[in-house]
Amino acid sequence: MTTINDRQLRSTYSALETQFRADPNTKVDGNGMVKLLAAVADTWWSGQASLEKSLSKPGITRAEQLALVKNGMGSTEKADLIRILDKGAVPLTDEVKSFLEQVVDRAAPPAPTDGALRITGNQAGGLIKGTLAAGSTVEALNLSTAPNARLTAEDTFVLGKAGADGKFQGSVPDMKEGDLIKMRSRDAAGKAGDWVTVRASGLGTDTRNAEVAIFRIGLTDEKNGKISLENINASRQVSEPGAKLMFINERTSEKTTITMDANGTFPADTKLNGKAGDSFSVRASDGTNNKDFSAEVGKVQVPGGTGGTGGGVQLPDPKLHKDEMNADGTPKFSTKRFTGPLYTDGLAATDVKQGQIGNCYMPAGVASVAHVMPEVIKEMIKDNGNGSYTVTFKEEDYRNGGYKNKEITVDADLYVRSYGGPLYGSSSGSTSPDKMEMWWPVLEKAFAQWKGSFNAIGNGGVASEVIEAIVGRPNADLSIRYSDETKVWNKIKTSVDNKMPVAAGTYGKDEASRYTNTGVHSNHAYSILGYEERGGEKYVNIRNPWGETEPWPGDGKNDGIFALKLKDFMKLYQTVYTVR
Amino acid sequence: MALPPEPLQELLPLATQIVDAEVVRVVSEGEAPEGPSAPEGATSVPYKLQSQVVVLKVNRAIRGTAKGEITVEKPQGAYLLSAGNKGGFLLQDGAPHPVIIGRYGPDTYRIETLERAVKEWK
Repeated sequence: MTTINDRQLRSTYSALETQFRADPNTKVDGNGMVKLLAAVADTWWSGQASLEKSLSKPGITRAEQLALVKNGMGSTEKADLIRILDKGAVPLTDEVKSFLEQVVDRAAPPAPTDGALRITGNQAGGLIKGTLAAGSTVEALNLSTAPNARLTAEDTFVLGKAGADGKFQGSVPDMKEGDLIKMRSRDAAGKAGDWVTVRASGLGTDTRNAEVAIFRIGLTDEKNGKISLENINASRQVSEPGAKLMFINERTSEKTTITMDANGTFPADTKLNGKAGDSFSVRASDGTNNKDFSAEVGKVQVPGGTGGTGGGVQLPDPKLHKDEMNADGTPKFSTKRFTGPLYTDGLAATDVKQGQIGNCYMPAGVASVAHVMPEVIKEMIKDNGNGSYTVTFKEEDYRNGGYKNKEITVDADLYVRSYGGPLYGSSSGSTSPDKMEMWWPVLEKAFAQWKGSFNAIGNGGVASEVIEAIVGRPNADLSIRYSDETKVWNKIKTSVDNKMPVAAGTYGKDEASRYTNTGVHSNHAYSILGYEERGGEKYVNIRNPWGETEPWPGDGKNDGIFALKLKDFMKLYQTVYTVR
Repeated sequence: MALPPEPLQELLPLATQIVDAEVVRVVSEGEAPEGPSAPEGATSVPYKLQSQVVVLKVNRAIRGTAKGEITVEKPQGAYLLSAGNKGGFLLQDGAPHPVIIGRYGPDTYRIETLERAVKEWK
């Protein structure tokens, strides 16, 4: 008696053995094979009786039967079937034997006659094998890795080409167990066939969870307690088809789970409960990995919030730059309360990073003050201990030609991107809301509040006017165009030696073509941190307020700090900014 | 306007091709749009420089299959190209030519940074 482990298959084969014992002329024919295969491939969602009906459906082809069986056959049933083939007591007709050999991957299927793409076997060894019309190519796309790549549904690569026998094989780079691989044929005339999708198997344990292109998730407040959810680039996937995405509203803790459609995007009219400013934790599962949704993929926030999400006082925020406003005047970005320390390891020029706003003159000026007069900045920013800060600027007093204090109080709500991090100025270290060093973003926000909005400070300006507003001294700029190396060098040297803040600006529109590939940008302000002479050459030590980008190759750090020969400085910079 | 480069995570999904290339020639230039007036010595002034159509000689494709000489469009923006300029160009599909994206063209991100990001992105 043949040892069969699968219960249904054992019962079915036992009946055939009984029949054989009663009539030694019995052979497993087509009908018997269907019964066996139904027992082999039954699943919890498609039982043996149902499968037998499908397998014996009038007109069904061998290829369709093969696909049905492959879909439900596990390793135990496959091993049982091999034992039936090799050691079974009941003889098989030649046709049945040939077909069962195909089922257990021991014989290649005949080349198809209809030219349709068919996949055979599993993907062990990273190979996809199959058949299609001779000479046709197979195009493939890994739907499981496409979301975080640039790939659209049409961004396929050629997996392989069918030989004269109709067989092909090819490998998908970085294919892992459980990946969804989408394929189609393309004939010599360029005509594409229907898509066929397989879930990769035979590659070991499925460890790749569903990827999520979190930057494609768009949230819009519908102002009725609902948030519409959309894929902001509908031609590309948010995640893999069938993946489940859980959105947890961090204000209400409500969880909403959404299943990605066949295109890896949100079903039409998908909504979440919430309002402007709400932040959602996003989790994902492909049904195998992260099934409990414990791991977070990232966070998204509904634009248009009016206040932060942390504690402390709430004060009006300066309006966004016009580029960050919708046509109807509503903001594209919302705010978040930041609770990090005012200073981390003191205060330095390198703390300052310019955000996505045209105010380079400001971080360049502020960083130059931080470099030589950190105590002035420490004195001007007062932590009120309630989530707000009072920043004291210097304003010209026309009554006496001097300066008077201008106090501006702001809270610690900063405009943030949907996927985290401040939109405008940030600090060089951590940018997380509970850790980011706050002195520079607070100073910038207060300056915007004073001048009216981020738009008011985000369309260009003069670095020395910012330095003046911090230190209360009149500016003393030098135009390089109308000067010479000696005067410029002396100006920088004197300012640095006297510990005065000093910065420099490059030429604008008319001279822009000279900057490409220099590592220095036109229409941009830089802090000057010092000077040096080595090898008979004079150098100016400069910092880009972006905190990165400098002439290549530099010192290899790409921290925006670099030494430029004075003669190059003379060509690329038009103004030295400082104060008296 | 001297803004920092756009975050790579925003550019990469848009770039259908990324090439290490050199400008061979400037084919044509558009009109420079009218810009705002600015005080003496001001920086970050929000003007835009004219668009250009240029021919690039591709040394290497970091993403995509471009090779040889390709014609691309540099949109209006913060920089200008001239023959001999080189570096990593991020290209977005466009008609009639692919469009260079990234605020500073070949100076937006170094080739090494682009290569590393493309690998990590997969």
